[in-house]
Amino acid sequence: MPELTTILFYIFAFITVGFAIIVVSTKNVMYSAVSLFMSLFGIAALFLLLRADFLALTQVMVYIGGILVLLIFGIMLTTKITDAEIKTNNLSYIPAAFFTTGIFVILIFVLYTTKWNQKTPIQNEETISQIGKALLSSYVLPFEIASIVLLVALVGAIMFSRKK
Amino acid sequence: MNNFTEILKSINSFLPELSVITTLLLCLIADIIIRKKSPIVTIIAIAGLLVSAYFVYMQSAVQESLFSGMLVIDPFAVFFKYLFILSSIIILIFFEFSNEIKESTHKNEYSYLILSLVLGAFLMASSVNLLMMYLSLELASLTSYILAGYSKSEKKSSESSMKYLIYGAASSGIMLYGMSLLYGFTGSLDIYEISRYLATNPTPNAFIYLTMIMIAAGLGYKTSSVPFHFWTPDVYEGSPTPVTAFLAVTSSAAGFSLITRLFLTTFLGSTQIVDGAFSIIAGIHWQEIIIVISVASMIVGNFVAIWQKSLKRLLGYSSIAQGGYMLAGLVVADTIGLTAMLIYLSAYLFMNLGAFFVTILIVNKLGTDDIEQMKGLGYRLPFVGVAMAVFMLALSGIPATVGFIGKFYLVTALMKPGAGYLWFAIVLMLNSVVSLFFYLKVVKSMFLERADNTDELPGIKFSVQSYIILILLLIPTIFFGLYFGPIVKLAESSAVLFGIR
Amino acid sequence: MEITLYHYLTVGAILFSLGLYAMISRKNAIMILMGIELILNACNLNFIAFSKYGGLGVDGQLISIFVILLAVAEAAIALAIVLNIYNNFNTANIDEVDSMKD
Repeated sequence: MPELTTILFYIFAFITVGFAIIVVSTKNVMYSAVSLFMSLFGIAALFLLLRADFLALTQVMVYIGGILVLLIFGIMLTTKITDAEIKTNNLSYIPAAFFTTGIFVILIFVLYTTKWNQKTPIQNEETISQIGKALLSSYVLPFEIASIVLLVALVGAIMFSRKK
Repeated sequence: MNNFTEILKSINSFLPELSVITTLLLCLIADIIIRKKSPIVTIIAIAGLLVSAYFVYMQSAVQESLFSGMLVIDPFAVFFKYLFILSSIIILIFFEFSNEIKESTHKNEYSYLILSLVLGAFLMASSVNLLMMYLSLELASLTSYILAGYSKSEKKSSESSMKYLIYGAASSGIMLYGMSLLYGFTGSLDIYEISRYLATNPTPNAFIYLTMIMIAAGLGYKTSSVPFHFWTPDVYEGSPTPVTAFLAVTSSAAGFSLITRLFLTTFLGSTQIVDGAFSIIAGIHWQEIIIVISVASMIVGNFVAIWQKSLKRLLGYSSIAQGGYMLAGLVVADTIGLTAMLIYLSAYLFMNLGAFFVTILIVNKLGTDDIEQMKGLGYRLPFVGVAMAVFMLALSGIPATVGFIGKFYLVTALMKPGAGYLWFAIVLMLNSVVSLFFYLKVVKSMFLERADNTDELPGIKFSVQSYIILILLLIPTIFFGLYFGPIVKLAESSAVLFGIR
Repeated sequence: MEITLYHYLTVGAILFSLGLYAMISRKNAIMILMGIELILNACNLNFIAFSKYGGLGVDGQLISIFVILLAVAEAAIALAIVLNIYNNFNTANIDEVDSMKD
């Protein structure tokens, strides 16, 4: 009898990968966006299985709540929904498929032949407080620089969308 | 409490970056208050950069690690910070001259966008942590996407910003995957820790090659090296000319600083330098990858440039090739090679900025950068034409210009006996000969060919200020070609990386 | 059967390849951006899996937080640029946006 975490892992891994395949294969941009939504949810669940609870939450709130909504806005503003023309064509998908399969095989080869840095995982630890402490001690510089990045993004987005 | 005192101590050494950040915010506020196009914002930006230059000067001989090993200060970083400050001040002035910028609907946004790219470049030159490297690279990239689309109603400009964004996001994603593999293998984000781990543990070949290629994808994109160069010609042609100059000089110099530090520090067997040579971990052949990228960049850049009709596109391919030359200094992995690279970078700053300034002036008057349209232009604007000829000859590496000094030191570094890079030096020299061909094409079009109605066309006059800027760029290009002692001395004292002696 | 590091790495590798496939084969700018999001998620999964199975504390999670943050900034700018392209060219397909040639 497999463990519960094993079953959960397979369920969420299939959700993640399955919907990711739909993202890249469907011709309808809207279907892609919705599948990406599901796929990102699957990843959030995988984060939970990896005991990264804070990150799972961030994934749901920022990625799904922020980025995906932005993307859907983008789709709706750049394609004519009324004509049901939310479709895109693929360029040259057979060579692309060959190429990516090649890359995938190389990746799997490397991933399975390399001896990764592995120790017995630490079980059940509170991550939020650790992350908070790290952000204000050893990671304080990236934390502050991140605010500049967001400021630049803000300026850029306003600059492009402002009326003349 | 220890952490707190360490952060406070780090802030004292973080003043150059802090003054850039403060200036950035001041410019933003000034822009909001003034609400129209005004040189005041640019003046604030230049003043802030000068303040930052003063703080950089105070750190000349310091070697220090900051913010729990996120950044380091060393002469290498200081050299690049000078380079970034000097080039961005010159480019801020370019922005004042360009009609493309005047016609755009924006006001003073460019001044703080430039400052944020300078901040990203500062951090790129001094970060020693994979997270910090990625973050600073992204800060610089995000800013350059925005700048590339600066004249947003211009079709070409918006197209170039989109292409830049898509290639940039893709290559930085690939680089991040490579970094994650490196993290998984070594268990650390700090490049000194990574280096120690790689030196003491057997590293599978397939793994290290894959990781290096993936990381090189992200960095090669910044330095526009082949095969990660696809964005370069279109972005160079489509962006407003001052932005192109900025991307070609400041942004790619930042890429070189990062690539040099990452490769030289990460694959270090011991921190001892013997006879000026870095001791590279046996069995990790990172030089091979750099050689391939470097040779490919030289060949593709120089040969494709021959067929270009647009001057900006030609300069784009030329900078791909120039990037290839500079990577040659990295391959030798000794202090002479590093010095040569720094000399070449400073030479490249003057001659390339000069070429771009002439391009700005010509585009202002002709409204196009088509080389065909420049027939006989040398007679209508003699001084500018002669200046362009000098910059073009300098870029191709003719003696008595600063470009020659750069190439001379690179070739000397490659010909070090026993290193086995003689063939590489020959490839480099042959490529210089090819490059002469297309650089002279511009000069030929300006002076030797005549438009049908040249005699009827009136001479073109420029403002006094533009002549002054031109002369200020012309002087170092020739002066340092004859009296190159100071540059060489500065570069020699700057070829010192933190923690390696 | 226990779930090991390799299971997570495999999921990451699949996501990375799919993202790469989307970037190469799609011509709609927004679809390419979705491919890039898949790649970034593959990286995050790698970082977190490595940091858990390597007993490396929260380093991996911290880098993932920054990756998510940069993804947001990038997506915001990307959308602004794509909308700008749409205003200028009336399309978001990159092969139709090709006014510059060698």
